[in-house]
Amino acid sequence: MSTAQAAAPARSTDFVTQLSQGFKNLPMWAQTTVNSIFGMTILLVLWWIGGVLIQSNPDTEAFADFAPGPALSALWSLLGTEFLWDTIVSSLERILLGLFWGIVIGVPLGVLMGYFLAMRQLANMPFQFLRMISPLAWMPIAVLAFETWDGAIVFLIVMATVWPIVFGTAHGVQRIDPNWFRVAKNLGADGYQMLRRVIMPAIAQDVFAGIRLAVGVAWVVLVPAEYLGVTSGLGYAINDARDTLAYDTLAAMVVVIGVIGYLLDAIAVFLIKRYSWHAE
Amino acid sequence: MSSNIWISDITHYYNKKQTSPTLDDINLTIPQGQLTALIGRSGCGKSTLLQMIAGLLIPTEGAVRISGHTVTKPSAKWNMMFQKPSLYPWMTVRENAALGLVFAGTYKQKKERVEELLDMVGLADHKDKNVQQLSGGQQQRVALARSLATEPDVLLLDEPFSALDAFTRSALQTEVAQICHDYGITMVLVTHDIEEAVAMADNVVIMNHNPGRIVGSMEVPLAYPRDRGTEEFGELKDYLFAEFEKIDQAKQAELAALEAQKDIQQTQQALAS
Ligand SMILES: Nc1ncnc2c1ncn2[C@@H]1O[C@H](COP(=O)(O)OP(=O)(O)OP(=O)(O)O)[C@@H](O)[C@H]1O
Ligand SMILES: [Mg+2]
Repeated sequence: MSTAQAAAPARSTDFVTQLSQGFKNLPMWAQTTVNSIFGMTILLVLWWIGGVLIQSNPDTEAFADFAPGPALSALWSLLGTEFLWDTIVSSLERILLGLFWGIVIGVPLGVLMGYFLAMRQLANMPFQFLRMISPLAWMPIAVLAFETWDGAIVFLIVMATVWPIVFGTAHGVQRIDPNWFRVAKNLGADGYQMLRRVIMPAIAQDVFAGIRLAVGVAWVVLVPAEYLGVTSGLGYAINDARDTLAYDTLAAMVVVIGVIGYLLDAIAVFLIKRYSWHAE
Repeated sequence: MSSNIWISDITHYYNKKQTSPTLDDINLTIPQGQLTALIGRSGCGKSTLLQMIAGLLIPTEGAVRISGHTVTKPSAKWNMMFQKPSLYPWMTVRENAALGLVFAGTYKQKKERVEELLDMVGLADHKDKNVQQLSGGQQQRVALARSLATEPDVLLLDEPFSALDAFTRSALQTEVAQICHDYGITMVLVTHDIEEAVAMADNVVIMNHNPGRIVGSMEVPLAYPRDRGTEEFGELKDYLFAEFEKIDQAKQAELAALEAQKDIQQTQQALAS
């Protein structure tokens, strides 16, 4: 009987409160999904409004294909085509190559900086200085220094990725508890085991956090870098679509860039979580 | 197999500018299987001496020998347990305890040993947990299991229980002493705590500071496990405390006399000039 009495006042409270109460009782992942979909819907609506405004203005009418309708149908017809696939693959190749060199150069530099105070004092100013230079500003030098456009673009990406990786790694190494070395030595660890069992797991999370930042910058830098010289990749495809007035394809490419960028970031986040050892 | 520790003529300076050595002419023989406690004021060089036994520090003069071998570097055969457990937070309890065996490449053959040790230190239900989920006392137990897993002949403890609450501390004191006794492990314990020394050691060595010297020792002829409530235990504790105080006061008087002498000399010099 008491349950029925308790339910009675609940029925009289207004529908919205009940709904929000029900929502808070959902599991976390469901709440996240619902909110994400909601956020994406807002973005889509804003895009749609933008499209309508463009179309209704006689000055911009020619660009009406930017609207979600034409763009998404262009994307639909592009899906599965060799063109789209080749475009994505050549962009990803450049990103991964740039990231590879960024890691190969950045991690050892970061370890040195984290480990030796003198290195840190020596390198901090120049590195912070170089970090602030837009990677695209290196373009003229890159074009002179590298024989191929591809080489130049990869160089630009390395210039974008190396700094966050250096600073992330250095931060990780600085946080290593000196007692961990003492204990491992005491348990008979040799140099390789120290690296594999103590240093690498200790800094992994910070290195991946640096890589996550690096991926973000690199992806942003890639598209404008591909405007120049090369005849493949997402940046080139955008430029080409503009030249041929194919605004629906252009907008579709922007969507592709966003989606792939999101996926790359999600991979980095997964790796950070996977190698994180901090208690929740 | 356990081993005896032989400390001969150790004198140590951390740097050349020191007027008096950190350790001065230390000689001590610890028979195999004996539990020894080093007590003394803060800064008298207890940790320094223990690190030398562990091979983490090389003395300026003199040497440490363990079963005839001169100690020149750390080894899993003589294991040191520090004040902080210093566990690796990216590993589970089991992985932490097994680390010494993993380094030695013998974990595959000795998996059972790690399980037994964790059971023994009361962590049977926590083996798969991350070490960050454990309390301070449980973490120190993991460190103990990790130290014992490599079957060390010598266990060196540097104030290993000082960060724990009183109940956990006395429980672990009893356990560790019992384990070392049962396995015939030669144990050296550094402590500030007189009760801890009497509860755990067969022989208590008193050190003095400035310079660091051994100035006395006391046998504790009690059987394990020790009951802290007995009259004998209390008497030994009081005796050790009195002895410690006597030595300390003598040292203070000596230092004061030295100061006074210096003053007199200075006055004389001032008068002479
Ligand atoms: N790495 C070092 N470099 C220079 N001097 C040191 C170093 N470590 C210790 N000392 C000095 O040597 C003396 C003995 O230090 P030690 O740590 O052995 O003392 P302790 O008896 O363990 O003290 P506590 O009980 O406080 O731990 C102290 O005066 C200390 O300042
Ligand atoms: Mg000490």
